[in-house]
Amino acid sequence: MSNLPDQANCEREERLEHVWANLPGWGALAAVNHTSVGLRFMATGMVFFLIGGVLAMLIRTQLALPEQEIIGASVYNQIFTMHGTVMMFLFAIPVLEGAAMYLVPKMLGTRDLVFPRLSALGYYCYLFGGVIILSSLVFEIAPDAGWFMYTPLSSHTYSPGPGSDFWLLGITFVEISAISAGVELVVSILRTRANGMSLNKMPIFCWYILAMALMIVFGFPPLILGSVLLELERAAGFVFFETVGGGDPLLWQHLFWLFGHPEVYIIFLPAAGIVSTLIPVFARHPLVGYRWIVLGIITMGFISFGLWVHHMFTVGIPQMAQAFFSVASMLVAIPTAIQIFAWLATLWQGKVVYHLPMLWIIGFLVVFVCGGLTGVMLALVPFNWQVHDTHFVVAHMHYVLVGGMLFPLIAGFYYWLPHVSGRMPSDKMGRWGFWLFFGGFNVTFLLMHLTGLLGMPRRIYTYEAGLGWDWLNLVSSIGGFIMAIGVAVIIVDIVLHFRFGRRAEQNPWCADTLEWAIPMPVNAYNFSSLPNITTRHPMWENPELIESIAAGEHGLAEVQNVRRDIYGSDAVTGKVREVVHLPTNSWLPLLTAVVLAVVCISLLIKAYPVALAAALLALVLVLRWGWDNCAHPRAAPVREDDPVDPPLHSRTCDGPGLWGMVVSLMANGTLYVSLLFGWFYLWTAAPQWSSPEQGRVALIPMAMSGVLLSLAVMIYRNAVAGLRKGQADGLTLKLWAAAALGLVHWCVLIWILQTSELQPTELAHDAVLMVALYYLLLHSGLAVIFTILQALRVKLGYVGPELPYEPVVIQPFWVYTFGVFWLSFAAFLLLPMAWGA
Amino acid sequence: MLGWFSLVLVAVIMLWLYAIRRSPGATSEARARQVQKRWIIWGGLVLPITSMAVILAFGIPAGHRMLPLPLDEGEVLRINVTAHQWWWEVYYPESDITLKDELHIPAGVPLDLHLTSADVIHSFWVPRLGGKLDMLPGRTNVLRLHADEPGTYRGQCAEFCGTQHAHMKFTVTAHSPEDYQTWLRQEASDE
Amino acid sequence: MMKPSPFHPLNLVLGLIIWALWFVLLYGGLSVGCAFAPPGAEAGAWTWINAVSLALALFVSGYLLVCAYGCWKASPPSHAVEVEPIKTFTSKTSAAVYLVSALASLALGLPGILLPPCV
Repeated sequence: MSNLPDQANCEREERLEHVWANLPGWGALAAVNHTSVGLRFMATGMVFFLIGGVLAMLIRTQLALPEQEIIGASVYNQIFTMHGTVMMFLFAIPVLEGAAMYLVPKMLGTRDLVFPRLSALGYYCYLFGGVIILSSLVFEIAPDAGWFMYTPLSSHTYSPGPGSDFWLLGITFVEISAISAGVELVVSILRTRANGMSLNKMPIFCWYILAMALMIVFGFPPLILGSVLLELERAAGFVFFETVGGGDPLLWQHLFWLFGHPEVYIIFLPAAGIVSTLIPVFARHPLVGYRWIVLGIITMGFISFGLWVHHMFTVGIPQMAQAFFSVASMLVAIPTAIQIFAWLATLWQGKVVYHLPMLWIIGFLVVFVCGGLTGVMLALVPFNWQVHDTHFVVAHMHYVLVGGMLFPLIAGFYYWLPHVSGRMPSDKMGRWGFWLFFGGFNVTFLLMHLTGLLGMPRRIYTYEAGLGWDWLNLVSSIGGFIMAIGVAVIIVDIVLHFRFGRRAEQNPWCADTLEWAIPMPVNAYNFSSLPNITTRHPMWENPELIESIAAGEHGLAEVQNVRRDIYGSDAVTGKVREVVHLPTNSWLPLLTAVVLAVVCISLLIKAYPVALAAALLALVLVLRWGWDNCAHPRAAPVREDDPVDPPLHSRTCDGPGLWGMVVSLMANGTLYVSLLFGWFYLWTAAPQWSSPEQGRVALIPMAMSGVLLSLAVMIYRNAVAGLRKGQADGLTLKLWAAAALGLVHWCVLIWILQTSELQPTELAHDAVLMVALYYLLLHSGLAVIFTILQALRVKLGYVGPELPYEPVVIQPFWVYTFGVFWLSFAAFLLLPMAWGA
Repeated sequence: MLGWFSLVLVAVIMLWLYAIRRSPGATSEARARQVQKRWIIWGGLVLPITSMAVILAFGIPAGHRMLPLPLDEGEVLRINVTAHQWWWEVYYPESDITLKDELHIPAGVPLDLHLTSADVIHSFWVPRLGGKLDMLPGRTNVLRLHADEPGTYRGQCAEFCGTQHAHMKFTVTAHSPEDYQTWLRQEASDE
Repeated sequence: MMKPSPFHPLNLVLGLIIWALWFVLLYGGLSVGCAFAPPGAEAGAWTWINAVSLALALFVSGYLLVCAYGCWKASPPSHAVEVEPIKTFTSKTSAAVYLVSALASLALGLPGILLPPCV
């Protein structure tokens, strides 16, 4: 492409701006752009952080002196529960997701995430869920059973108020946003990198985010399942965690920590990604041991799933089983140490330039290494028995989380501020903020280790004088307030810089990654043209990219048919394979989230018919949303001038949609496996497990229903196989046949459920079985609806031999439905019979 | 353990600060690679692995002594403790004594506490006598306790159990074996 | 067992997936073993459960070591310029992942040397 004259280039960029910009005024609420959504995530997260911080100050006020009654036990319990909940679920994860959403496409050299409307939906779910949870605090009916909600304390008997419901429903609602962000980030990183950006040339930050996103996909479903089960127990009296009837309170702990431990690494990985990005920039030296670090990231991602029982060392598990988790907990120190020393080696080799973000990185190192070392100590079982549930653990946890997440995050904030505002942060005030925060933090938490060793349990609202804890608590409280002042200084600094900061020049830190090739402050479309990437450090080796990108010398410089286009690329080599056209601004995410909020609130006030109606409405909205895809006139209708090489993604068989479906099914499958785990766990470990003498579910009809499902899947697969070959013979007929068979199968399932004699409020066996049956029912029902819609779309010409995209996306869903049906049949019905239980 | 870890912490921080201050000078590419690899292998692999091996070598036997394994000779004294919101019920099955919020034990001999709960999860903990163990409804956990010296020890519920969690305390009185027998006779006659 | 090409990106995670399955098998198997045929506490560490878990640990880590060796050997020498760097990257990193998985799998079996299984 030749150099366009300036005038023409300006007009070209205006066309880009026109296509990619948010709607004006209130229309900004319909924005789906990753820059807007990412910034909203971060801003909202910071507000929640301040609220959580105020709660922490109340805790430290109450504990400053012995035998105080400033707050009182019941409010104190609400406050510490909400402090943990807000910081973990409403601050740490969403802020990091927001940062990832903002940065990842810019680092990958593309214009947006691959499912933009999903980003917007995730944001609104997070916002509404967070507001619902916090509203409970205003009414003084907040959850008060601790942020990990151990049953039976959180069950109906011991927490009759709505507090626990707020937690369970609100958090599940918020988690929709986490999972959607997880799916979206995985697919975006794997499938929409700049041309030529093979996995080994990907910025290290994206490796971290890829691991984090995959961990979200596998880590959150156990908690979602746990929350659903506990809510069913509280609202409908199903037996899952009550010992009477064959439940087990320990099942909750397993499900919670199966999520809860990976979650710590979900928080740590992106923060470590920030460290790995910043250190090379300030050391003026490429990151040492890129491959070692990738190895560390992958190892950490896996091993962190094998640690969860170390939160449960005192529940009375056999010591050999504890030893496995103890060993795994120590093993995870290795990838961490590899990273710490790779960073050290980078600093060693480089010539370090000293700026404010570096200060926070050093703060991170000091605090995090200390937290990591106490973590290794905690992994040692006998030591754990002594300090578990004491203030030692409180101190350890804050060292790891604040050190491992907040310090790098603030370093990142300062580092990327010019990107958002176009101005540089002030060095002087920033230093004050750092030293106040760092000093206050250590004053608060360093001595708290000792408080714990002296025997102060956590979560007590007051303590007697004279146990040796008095001065320690007072010092901790003073430190807490110094830290709060530090936060205030940092906020003032950041706010002021938007007004008074020095104008930043292009690429102010001399960084190596692509996000600095974008003009500052950022525009709506990131890159005016999409560059080819040949190196891991594009801005160091080709600094002229800034000009050539702006001049439109690279790919997709021209807007086509008023569409938002980006490149889709090969997952390994990063070679361009297709042009992905993205949806534009839409009100549907906001509407869907509002309706989901209605579901959540009506469940809270126990207006179940309303909840059901709203849930159905949400389904309709989501289907409506899916309707505007592919060759729909509002998306990318077939035109004469459609690009052929590379083709539009909706004309291919292996587009991002398929990847999104498969990743979502991984999350879904984890939910199902968690249910299976619950089944086997209760069966083997619940103290009073009992199964009914006769099978509660009619076996033969169930098998027949399964045969119908299998036939439907076969026909559907046959239809898709034909499509892949470009044949459309009998496509509509096959789709209708699959839908019809699926519908009959679904009706038989309903009949089985109706005639079964399940007593979920009496027996845990029946309760689990019932959940499994409803799970199957939901999947079969959705598969049928999707297929009917496909048949209609064939008729309208949105799907066909030239447009095989959508049926291919839905095929894994059918196969999954088929798989879980027969697996359930074997695990829930056949196996108990074979065992003679 | 604490000492070793403090040393590691200080050493790592010092190395970092030095690495930041240090100016790299001109080295050949190959030499640089060698240095890098050395850092990662020694610091990232060797250091954590040896540290872990050492603490496991101390830790696993220490944990072993806390297990309620059968003694070489004789029976272990058994006491049942049931937690309630927010008090402790202590029962001596051999002498049919029931106490509330206090526990009397002989010093110098190991004993097994059979722990369970009547309502929510609690955790039995006497900081000066050893580790804690959770008390779960529907299950019984066995804690091996060993008080070396006669005296009075403070115990407290360690697992958050509701509004009055902070006030769920008890005392353990460890008697010399003779005093313990006297105490037992006295309690039995009071009943 | 079917093996993917040493350059396939699946190798980057396969080793740790095997580790995870081994972990599940070990933990689940121990629970089931202790529920249905618990050896007495007197036996200490000399029980059938310990023996089986140790043997399996050796087997699993042995297999992973073989995979690691395969990937390492397959990777072209780093000075061969004409090879695609992504291939070297995948195979070498995969070899390291297999090695780490082998060590981690072995480490999981080690408690079996010392501890009684069901107490």
